[in-house]
Amino acid sequence: MAHRDRRLPKHQRLIGLWLLLSGVSLLGGAIFAAWLDAQLGVGGWERAALWLGSFSGGATILLVGLALERMLFTPLRHLQAQLARLVASPDARNEHSPEGWLTGLGPDLARVRESWRADRGRLAQARSEGARDAAQIRQRLEALLQVLQTPLLLCDRHRRLLLLNTAAETFFEGHTGLGLGKRIDALLPATSLQNALTQLPADGTPRELLLPCDERWLKVTLRRLPESDGESLVTFTDATHAWSTEMGVRAGLSAQLAELRRQSASVTSAAEVLKTLGASDAESSTLRARLENAIDEDGLALGHSIAHMGRLIDDMQRQGEQLTPIWSNDFWQALDERLDPSRRLITPIGMPAWFNGDAPALIALLDSLLQHLEAHLPAGGFEGAGFEGEMGLGNKRVYLDMIWHGGPLPEGELARWQRQPLTTLPHSPTAAEVLRQHASDIWSLADAGGKRARIRLPLPAAERVGAPRRAVPPRPEFHDFGIANLPSPDEARAGLALRSLEIVAFDTETTGLALRRGDTVVSLGACRIVNARALASETFAQYVDPERPIPAESTAIHGITDADVAGAPLLATALEHFRHYVGDAVLLAHNASFDMLAISQQGAEFAMPVLDTLLISRALDEALDGHDLDSLARRYDITFPPGTRHTALGDARVTAALWLALLPRLEARGVDTLETLLALQANAIDVEDASAL
Amino acid sequence: MSQVLVVDDEPNILLSLEFLMQQAGFEVTTADDGESALERINAGLPDLLLLDISLPGISGFDVLERLRTAADTRHLPIIMLTAHGREVEREKGMALGANDYITKPFSTQALVEKVKALLAETDHGAP
Repeated sequence: MAHRDRRLPKHQRLIGLWLLLSGVSLLGGAIFAAWLDAQLGVGGWERAALWLGSFSGGATILLVGLALERMLFTPLRHLQAQLARLVASPDARNEHSPEGWLTGLGPDLARVRESWRADRGRLAQARSEGARDAAQIRQRLEALLQVLQTPLLLCDRHRRLLLLNTAAETFFEGHTGLGLGKRIDALLPATSLQNALTQLPADGTPRELLLPCDERWLKVTLRRLPESDGESLVTFTDATHAWSTEMGVRAGLSAQLAELRRQSASVTSAAEVLKTLGASDAESSTLRARLENAIDEDGLALGHSIAHMGRLIDDMQRQGEQLTPIWSNDFWQALDERLDPSRRLITPIGMPAWFNGDAPALIALLDSLLQHLEAHLPAGGFEGAGFEGEMGLGNKRVYLDMIWHGGPLPEGELARWQRQPLTTLPHSPTAAEVLRQHASDIWSLADAGGKRARIRLPLPAAERVGAPRRAVPPRPEFHDFGIANLPSPDEARAGLALRSLEIVAFDTETTGLALRRGDTVVSLGACRIVNARALASETFAQYVDPERPIPAESTAIHGITDADVAGAPLLATALEHFRHYVGDAVLLAHNASFDMLAISQQGAEFAMPVLDTLLISRALDEALDGHDLDSLARRYDITFPPGTRHTALGDARVTAALWLALLPRLEARGVDTLETLLALQANAIDVEDASAL
Repeated sequence: MSQVLVVDDEPNILLSLEFLMQQAGFEVTTADDGESALERINAGLPDLLLLDISLPGISGFDVLERLRTAADTRHLPIIMLTAHGREVEREKGMALGANDYITKPFSTQALVEKVKALLAETDHGAP
């Protein structure tokens, strides 16, 4: 059985107690008055005063209680109810604004309610936008994967297929090993693939394998997805054609060799017979003619066969497996780094290009060539002013030219150099062998005009265009595409909402406080606030050479020494940079009059509105003490990394955080535009001036 | 009668070319290496040079370069001969100043045509 509390509610009991106390006091007063009246027997106004005095205690209790109930207890109860409703739902109706002695809480309470309501709305909106964005990204990714013509698979660390695209389905059409969740081993049961997958570099560097699959040869490229849980991306190319092309060359060479043997045998035997032929009788004349004819025909066929073989060998060399695409600028740089520092003199000129080459072999080749050039150029031929590297584009070839001031290297020297072994390469191939590897040769020519000469090295062109992509710089910590929706900076700013203001919070560290007597800036720091958010990476921090020693007592505060500012720009230069940084933003500082004075000494023009968190805080909480940055940081629970207070950038960040804490309070009081805020601030200045008088 | 100097280290080729050029009506001298070729040219300038690339001692390219840098042989018509037939060699020969290029084995008729055409171009006229 449920226990039933028979007691009255607490506040009713309190009221009962109060009424009882009042009644008892009044009754006691009446009895006391009656007794006194009887004892003293006074009359007239003395008797009235006696009775009033006796009733005063009870009356006071009754009236004080009544006042407390009306002005404090009832408003508190209403507030409690209102808060309870608010906790339950920010959309609940606002039945009771704070009243009685709690009326002052009205704006803050309304602000709490509005903020909560807005935050809830923003959260819901962000959630739905996030979901929509995620869905869009997924759709685009899926679409991209499906239209991508390269077959690709994504495997987890257990080699199970997590993703496959349409191209992969087409590529492995009918293969039972292909399917989500299946292991790649079922698709390609090769130990080398399994080993490669487990040993992939974590940074995403690709590894390549050539694997047989049914009737095909597959070139498989594997890479670990960086920052993933061991997931790997596998792409496939059908290398059968390339393979068979190479096989085709080999087969062609074999076939041509057989032909050559046949033709050579035919020519040799015909020649042998010709030698043995006797005098020129009729029979031998006929035979001689036939043999000569045979020699002619087979000789011609021999020529064709040899020419064909030459082309096949050229093709094979051009398709050399070790030749990889190289971007000429990368090559020049690698070559320059390889050279002796005293000979780091290669200046790439002209248009860079891709070419196919065995980079280490080419670098060793050119390194050796440069040494040879310096040693063997004709006296006075090389003026030692370094080389220029230029790429020329040709038909299926690019020309790697090394140019110098002086005469060309004689062909004989070049031929001698080609016979030298490149000892820095494995097996020490000769320069001629490296040239042959690239189906190339090398020659030296004087340029038109005769003042300069070049070495020309033709190399197979690579089928790539455009410069390699630069490494992407790390993403900034913060993106805000809402910036595009901000009003134009040209619009009148006075009516702009404080939230939409672009603000630069800044702070200066100085040699001392007497700015008008020669103290000046040693450090300037600032950060930017956009859409009521402080941008973490959009900062300005600059030491400034004060052109005077920094007093030890100032160094004790900000820690900046003369050594720190040695070589730093002068204030005028730093302010010019700062002015660019500020752009169209409004300035914000704590005790801005000091900092504005500090940055206005060199004639730099900062004509934009200036906000001051010191003045704003004073205007909001006139009755409170402690409006210095440290007190306010404590009041608004602003934390900052140790050691950053009293650095210009650190204080600028604290000022920005303080502004963001003050902003909702300003808005709650209807101060939500620049105009109204400047008015509030001006009022605070007036009050300050008045109190200073 | 135009004089042709044939330079090749392969005796059979040298013999054939000598015979072929004589048949075509040219006066032929021969050399079997780069040094002797240069000596022959110094002794008397031919109207045309058939120059093999692969020679013992100084190579055909070397001979070509020396002839092109000397004032009196700068415009001597030169046809290069090679057994390699690689594109890049042809390009190198032309870059160093050869007038034409023939890959071994060659068609005798084609060679004679080239020699005649080149001599006609350089105003030495046919034999």
